[in-house]
Amino acid sequence: MSALSLYVDKGSFLNKLHPYTKLLYVFAAILIPLIGGRLLIFPLTILFSLILLLTGRVFRRALPLVAFSFTLIIVIFLIQGLFYHKNENPLFNIRILTFYREGVIYAAGIALNILNMLLSFAVFVLTTAPQDLVEEMEKNGFSPKFGYVINSVFQIVPQMMKTRDTIVDAQRSRGMETEGSLFTRIRAFLPLISPVVMSALINTRERAIALEVRGFGRRNKRSYITDRKKSSADIVISIILAALILAVSVWRILSCLS
Amino acid sequence: MSNIFKTKLNAATIVLIPACIGINYLGKLFAQFLKLPLWLDCIGTCIGAALGGPVIGGICGAVNNIIYGLTTGDNISLVYALTSLGIGIAVGITARLGFMETFPKSFVCALAGGLAAVIISTPLNVMFWGGTTGNVWGDALFAVTQANGMPVVVGSFLDELVVDVPDKILTVIIAFLILKGLPAKLKALYDVNAEIERLD
Repeated sequence: MSALSLYVDKGSFLNKLHPYTKLLYVFAAILIPLIGGRLLIFPLTILFSLILLLTGRVFRRALPLVAFSFTLIIVIFLIQGLFYHKNENPLFNIRILTFYREGVIYAAGIALNILNMLLSFAVFVLTTAPQDLVEEMEKNGFSPKFGYVINSVFQIVPQMMKTRDTIVDAQRSRGMETEGSLFTRIRAFLPLISPVVMSALINTRERAIALEVRGFGRRNKRSYITDRKKSSADIVISIILAALILAVSVWRILSCLS
Repeated sequence: MSNIFKTKLNAATIVLIPACIGINYLGKLFAQFLKLPLWLDCIGTCIGAALGGPVIGGICGAVNNIIYGLTTGDNISLVYALTSLGIGIAVGITARLGFMETFPKSFVCALAGGLAAVIISTPLNVMFWGGTTGNVWGDALFAVTQANGMPVVVGSFLDELVVDVPDKILTVIIAFLILKGLPAKLKALYDVNAEIERLD
């Protein structure tokens, strides 16, 4: 299971919060700077997400998530800094390349937004088991069929990953080239993927029959193994977050009017 | 024509969705393993769309990105759930219209998927990334268009076009070859017009 989900149970404060509360946090952290419309609000929400990650003891696991976005951010700085269409005032030169003020500010906005989204989302993803979220949604009327779809992905993908290694080894032992020119590599793609895909699709037939036999199509109300109640901390945090979003919206509207 | 969107929501189609998402994931992994300059991350969506119709294709695409976002913490792919949804629907509709039956016809399917991807991704790219896509070749082209003073939207559109259309063509070809190899007893499960005969 752990191959796909990033969730780890550290028994922290964040792990105990209701999934909805954490979702609301993600929502608030992304919306508040966007509604506020000031570049300076981003560092605040980013800092807050970082503090949450540290207190939830998942900071180290969040690093790889953020690291991959850095190449993208650098590309954005290069392209917008050099070529942004409103570029007028030069900021600094690197040899023959001139970076412009407007482009760099624009790129900074995008980069901060990306970092903010990634970090606030990391708070949610690293501390919530996907199964928990799906179960809570099912209790609130989310279709159990789609709940099954989401949960079973977490079982099927690790299975497929295992077969992937077997197939790579098997095809290589038959002498298939997986390295070399682009054409060779494209040609290797089909023999690698088709055995897994075929078996996966053929397995769906048996899985469907097995589910039908266990009453998958029934429409009765279902019962749940775990019963999770919102704690008082959940309620307080939700109210604070909602109030913050509201406050920022009001502030923005007022500052637009005046 | 009225049955283009007709969908069977039974256990067989429900089980098809996770399998297709797994295939998407695998396609992406193998593309990375072979260091291909393409994504190939919607083969499953195309198979789902061709077997189950546009609705299942759309669900496959959207759920794929949502789960990918939930598990890898990469919430940028959450936004592109819209694109995957579009690809699934476009391929599903063209497949139902019969463009998945022969190899030459499948190119129409591929073009529909590719164009859907380009049209939906371009505004998203402009909104979230200022026009870049994160693919080396596409972004190089984007830089050229910006240096020549073309509007961001045009640059981003071209950026997306040179990456997405070849990617989707290859994806649909692979999906087509896999579908051809599937046993008929499996495909019969997803035939919307099939009727169950009762013997009582």
